[in-house]
Amino acid sequence: MIEVSALCAGYGGREVLHGVGFTLADGESLAILGPNGCGKTTLLRALAGLLPFEGTIRLGGRPLAGMRPRERAAQVGMMSQTMQVSFDYTVREVVRMGRYRLQRRSLLGGETEADERAAEEAMRVTGLLPLSDRRVTALSGGQQQRVFLARVLAQEPAIILLDEPTNHLDLRSQLELLDCLRAYSEGPGRQVVGVFHDLTLAPRLCGKALFLEDGAARAFGAFSEIATPAFLRSLYGVDVRAHLEEALAALPRA
Amino acid sequence: MSNAISSKRRSGRAGVLLLLACFCAAVFLLAVGVGSVAIPVRETLAVARAALTGAPTPEAIPALHVSILTKLRLPRALLSLLCGASLSLAGAVMQSVLRNPLASGYTLGVSSGASLGAALVLLLGLRLPLPGAAMLPAAGFAFGLLTVLAAMALSARFDPGLRSDTIVLTGMVISLFVSAMLSLLCSLNRESLERLYFWQLGSFSGATMEECALLLAVLALSLPCLLRLCGEMDILTFGDELAGTSGLSPKRTRAALILLATLLTGTAVSFCGAIGFVDLVMPHLARRLVGPRHRALLPACALLGGICMMLADLAARTVLSPRELPVGAVTALFGAPFFLLVYFGRRRREADA
Repeated sequence: MIEVSALCAGYGGREVLHGVGFTLADGESLAILGPNGCGKTTLLRALAGLLPFEGTIRLGGRPLAGMRPRERAAQVGMMSQTMQVSFDYTVREVVRMGRYRLQRRSLLGGETEADERAAEEAMRVTGLLPLSDRRVTALSGGQQQRVFLARVLAQEPAIILLDEPTNHLDLRSQLELLDCLRAYSEGPGRQVVGVFHDLTLAPRLCGKALFLEDGAARAFGAFSEIATPAFLRSLYGVDVRAHLEEALAALPRA
Repeated sequence: MSNAISSKRRSGRAGVLLLLACFCAAVFLLAVGVGSVAIPVRETLAVARAALTGAPTPEAIPALHVSILTKLRLPRALLSLLCGASLSLAGAVMQSVLRNPLASGYTLGVSSGASLGAALVLLLGLRLPLPGAAMLPAAGFAFGLLTVLAAMALSARFDPGLRSDTIVLTGMVISLFVSAMLSLLCSLNRESLERLYFWQLGSFSGATMEECALLLAVLALSLPCLLRLCGEMDILTFGDELAGTSGLSPKRTRAALILLATLLTGTAVSFCGAIGFVDLVMPHLARRLVGPRHRALLPACALLGGICMMLADLAARTVLSPRELPVGAVTALFGAPFFLLVYFGRRRREADA
């Protein structure tokens, strides 16, 4: 359950979001869409607790602002667009870091068998088991993306936030990633909120859509109801359907 | 199957640490035994055992050897071991926390600040309510700490998120600014220039057991804190976005770790002078040996740093004996090419693969 009202947020003195609000029931997944610079990523970062904000965000009925880092990590996990890998950790080591929120601090390291099992399971569903002892720095961009997906799955947050998760991925990997996330979001009390540019991929994962324009909510509701050709034309200045049909026509049928 | 591999890797790491510990002990005995007067290992061990148990030293050992061991060599070897360990630990922490392979205890101006403090004592005759011998170290430590605090406070002002890039940039600028003040001071007073110069290059001559005890206390205080924060350090190397959504506060954790590293560097520098490169190179070497996870990396760094510093000091006092070379010159002479080898050697092999 995500409740957002009168949300204003930005960077330094520059306000990007001007009073955004929406409510998402348990189990509903949301695609955040809109033209470049409309505030999609800012909204995502505010939901992740990475930005100071005004207004209210409540996750699972509790205000985000008052949460301690570990409580917040139980509510939201994030798979971001840019990965920064500075040192040669192995795939398994990175995936296990997702379990941090559940571990006790201790001199000898607080990993339990449950942590180990959750990490193995996350690597299994993302197809990373054959790569588990490889160094992350030696993997391709798409493989690294899967490592960070597995990491957030191992974290087991109620809400997974995604920032253009299908960037840099070939079509098959895009579909696999979305299927993996959909399976996760169908678990009890779980949902996914993602920023998307691709209007054809968003509905594959998310039933609801929030269209932003200039830092304000332009439309919110079921994707299939609000993303009408007339609405998309008014938002993007492009006839999206015609464009997709043209693209389809360019592909040989056989 | 994969679990078997990971447990094999774990025991491999433990083996490397054990080997390093043995090597460290061997180098320690070497550092104590070698010098203008060679002392057999057997005597060293006997004196060490007597010192530890409080028993009288065996009479078969010449009194000169006993006093060389207890008054000169033991404190000197021990101090170089502890300084090397502290500096290298601090370097590993800084590199991870600031996500910068060139970061070290000095990045934030610990060294330049400490040098300025020492210069104020030497050149301006600044007096502190302390015994003479403690004056230089105390001033060095205080000014090193002040410089880092200033760098952190300024970074927090420019960037409330306290990101590593901001800290590195601000630290470098402040460090340069403090160095300029140092040059200015030196140009005003040329007589003490030589003493300052030698303090900056570093030396372990005149090490005392009190200094060892103090540094050991600082290490005993900060090492458990660092070991408790291993998981946090691992996560911080992946950037603030990931760290902030994993269940920790990047800003607070980073500030705490930087202060711990500063405490280690500041104390070590105040005893041995501004010795560079150990803290820069050893963490990279340790990562090659045991991987980047801090739980294995930190002990490996401490041991490697100690080994390297003892060897450097051994070289400094024996190569041109009876003249003594500045330790900082020795570490830089070997450290600079070694850094390139360790850091870029890995990249080349990866590019070839």
